[in-house]
Amino acid sequence: MKSLRYSLATLALIGTTHAAVAADNLEIIVPFAAGGATDIVARSFEPTFSQQLGVTSVVRNVAGASATVGTAEVANSEGNPNIIGYEPAGALSIQPSLKKLPYGPDSFTYICRTVSNPMFLMVSKSSDITSFKQLVEESQDQPFLYGSSGPGTLPHLAMAATVVNSDLKAEHVPYSGSGPAMNALAGNEIQIMADTETILENYDLRPLAVFADHRVEGYDDVPTVEELGLPALDFAVWQGVVAPKGISDERAQQYAEACKVTVESDKFKSFADKAKAGIAYLGPDDFKAFVQKRFETNKQVLEDAGLAP
Amino acid sequence: MDVILAAVGDAFTWQALLAIVIGTWAGIIIGGLPGLGSVVGLTIFLPFTFGMDVITSMALLIGVYCGSVYGGSITAILINTPGTPQSAATTFDGYPMTQQGRVDEALGWATFASFFGGVLSCVLLIFCAPQLAKFAVNFGSIEVFALVCLAMLCIVGISRGSLLKGLVCGMMGFFFSTVGSDPITGADRFTFGTYALSSGLDLIPVVVGAFALSEVFVRFSARDEEATTIPEARLRFPSLREIGRRLIELVRGSFIGSFVGALPGTGAAAAAFISYAAAQKLSPRRANLGKGEPDGIIASESSNNAVTGSAFIPTLALGIPGDVVTAMMMGAMVIHGITPGVRLMADQAQTVYALFVVLIIVNVAMLILSKPSIGLFRYLFKLPLGFVMGGIVMFSFIGAVSVRGNPLDLVVAALTGILAYVLRRGGYPLAPLIIGMVLGPALESSLRRGLLISRGDFLSFFTHSGIATTLFVLIGLFLVWTVAAGILDWRAKIADRRQPAESGARSATTQEGRP
Repeated sequence: MKSLRYSLATLALIGTTHAAVAADNLEIIVPFAAGGATDIVARSFEPTFSQQLGVTSVVRNVAGASATVGTAEVANSEGNPNIIGYEPAGALSIQPSLKKLPYGPDSFTYICRTVSNPMFLMVSKSSDITSFKQLVEESQDQPFLYGSSGPGTLPHLAMAATVVNSDLKAEHVPYSGSGPAMNALAGNEIQIMADTETILENYDLRPLAVFADHRVEGYDDVPTVEELGLPALDFAVWQGVVAPKGISDERAQQYAEACKVTVESDKFKSFADKAKAGIAYLGPDDFKAFVQKRFETNKQVLEDAGLAP
Repeated sequence: MDVILAAVGDAFTWQALLAIVIGTWAGIIIGGLPGLGSVVGLTIFLPFTFGMDVITSMALLIGVYCGSVYGGSITAILINTPGTPQSAATTFDGYPMTQQGRVDEALGWATFASFFGGVLSCVLLIFCAPQLAKFAVNFGSIEVFALVCLAMLCIVGISRGSLLKGLVCGMMGFFFSTVGSDPITGADRFTFGTYALSSGLDLIPVVVGAFALSEVFVRFSARDEEATTIPEARLRFPSLREIGRRLIELVRGSFIGSFVGALPGTGAAAAAFISYAAAQKLSPRRANLGKGEPDGIIASESSNNAVTGSAFIPTLALGIPGDVVTAMMMGAMVIHGITPGVRLMADQAQTVYALFVVLIIVNVAMLILSKPSIGLFRYLFKLPLGFVMGGIVMFSFIGAVSVRGNPLDLVVAALTGILAYVLRRGGYPLAPLIIGMVLGPALESSLRRGLLISRGDFLSFFTHSGIATTLFVLIGLFLVWTVAAGILDWRAKIADRRQPAESGARSATTQEGRP
């Protein structure tokens, strides 16, 4: 009896030493809880990526505070060549303008952008509004309410920018995610929502405009916001891989190559197809410039809408 | 019909059945260990499902989910420490029954109520998912606000001894829940400039501290040997006659759970509290609630397990996950190419029916596996107390940190443990703290969203919709009832105290007492 207990204790100790030794493995931080939309893409990305690098990877979910806690952890691991973050758009290009964070857009070594999906402006199919013009007209008597997946998220910013740049009268009601917002839209608690094709396809929604610089394949009759007389607003939900600053150029190069191969692999492509994630690879330099540009644009939107502190 | 038969065929493959057995058993154990709950269990098993087919992977995850919701009740009853927040309400009557030496009966009712709730909600899911989903859509922010207010009132019922102490703890829980990002503006609140606090206080570390750690402290500080021993876990199922006697409680709990589970953003812990509040008003044996009455266990366990089935209603019918757990399940479905949404039922009927069949098998498996699982806990708790308590502390901290991977949660768990110990020493009930923490965020965000929607007019809440009006009337009735009962009680007490005194002196004091 006693020996069994001791051996169990020893086993537990062996377990911890193993974890300590394994610190050389690559750690992939996902700043959302397991099973979320970003997490499943990250977990499908991981196997091929690790294989390319020839390492064992561990996906670690560090959730909280609009994905900034996990992102901060990557930024704070300066010089560590064994940690990367699989990051959503908001944590890199919006949150740093909204509140004081231990990181900014310059705190990372940019590796690659993996996927990107343009956002649509949508109303419920049960409403009789069929065009953006009609939406603007009907909003004059009584302002509409638009939902979002939370304050300072992309759906919020896209709509805030639309309201600032057009005659549309609408006010913001944040929810705790796209799901609850869809429930509110179905119950006519809110009337407008901006989100991606995944949401559009899965619910009874009618797209009125797309926040992109060209019409989207499969939605040829949905005009871009620019065609509707607004400034060219470009809002897309994208994800990408970043590493902390201070890693060697050689390591950054390895990451970048592994990412390119992964994103172009059949395995990842077939997953992206199923999950309706639009593959949109950008290499290190392009990705860095892209994030910088998005950061500036979003900052401007936040200031125009009176949301920046 | 062909679709259903094909679906049954899909569910009865050896892979799926094996996955159910492994998942359910692992779920019961994980749920029973304090700190490790449904989310941790699913996080552990999610990566294993990537290589499986859809039904097998969903069978594994559903097994873990349902098993963990049930498993939480085992430790709630045995050592007054709910294994998961969903089982917090089970401690109210489960632990008193243990103290009275009725462990076998308590575990039997918990097991049977879990099974009953789970199966009834499956049946509802099969026959009225679309209707329930449509009804749930009518539950907007204002209706949710009314429902949460109603649930909050159960703090009154469980604060035996001192209502004031209960309210203080309830408010404390509510304030804990306001730390972090503001749900409407996104601004940081009560973070004192500390970045780590901006993600807020998570429920699991607080529950782990309040129940598991404080229980360990209480047991270590107790001098009395007798008080610290853990009774042997046994299981005795209630007889058919006993079930018949309490059938109405089982049905009520299951229906409340099924209904609350179908609403987005509430979840099993809230359902258990709402169901317990209902039992306090409606059970014929309500006077005994909180003193070791099986009705309390039934209310809690039938409703929280009913949520496991009905939480799939918004997920499958609308693609809207009701809580974190179903959100994870939805993620697992997407990996396998099934995207939940309004068209799922039409496009993938066979898969959906197979999931229903799996849910029912899981509940049956849970009933069968309850005995060996409780046997395992009996063995674990036979170890010297130091090992058991050490293990509880270890799992508590693992559970606290593994939800979000935030080291802050370890500190939160430890501090809550110390705070809870002090509160318990002062005779403060801890359950209201958890209720405040569970319902606080829903109360706050539904109120503030409701105000945005009604454009700042609170009075229009009462007339917003039939559902809202009904709920507010119920709240009014409850308050009048409680106050009236309180006054009657108080007068009876005064009359009792004065009984021995002379009638003349009595009338004199009464007159003096009047201004």
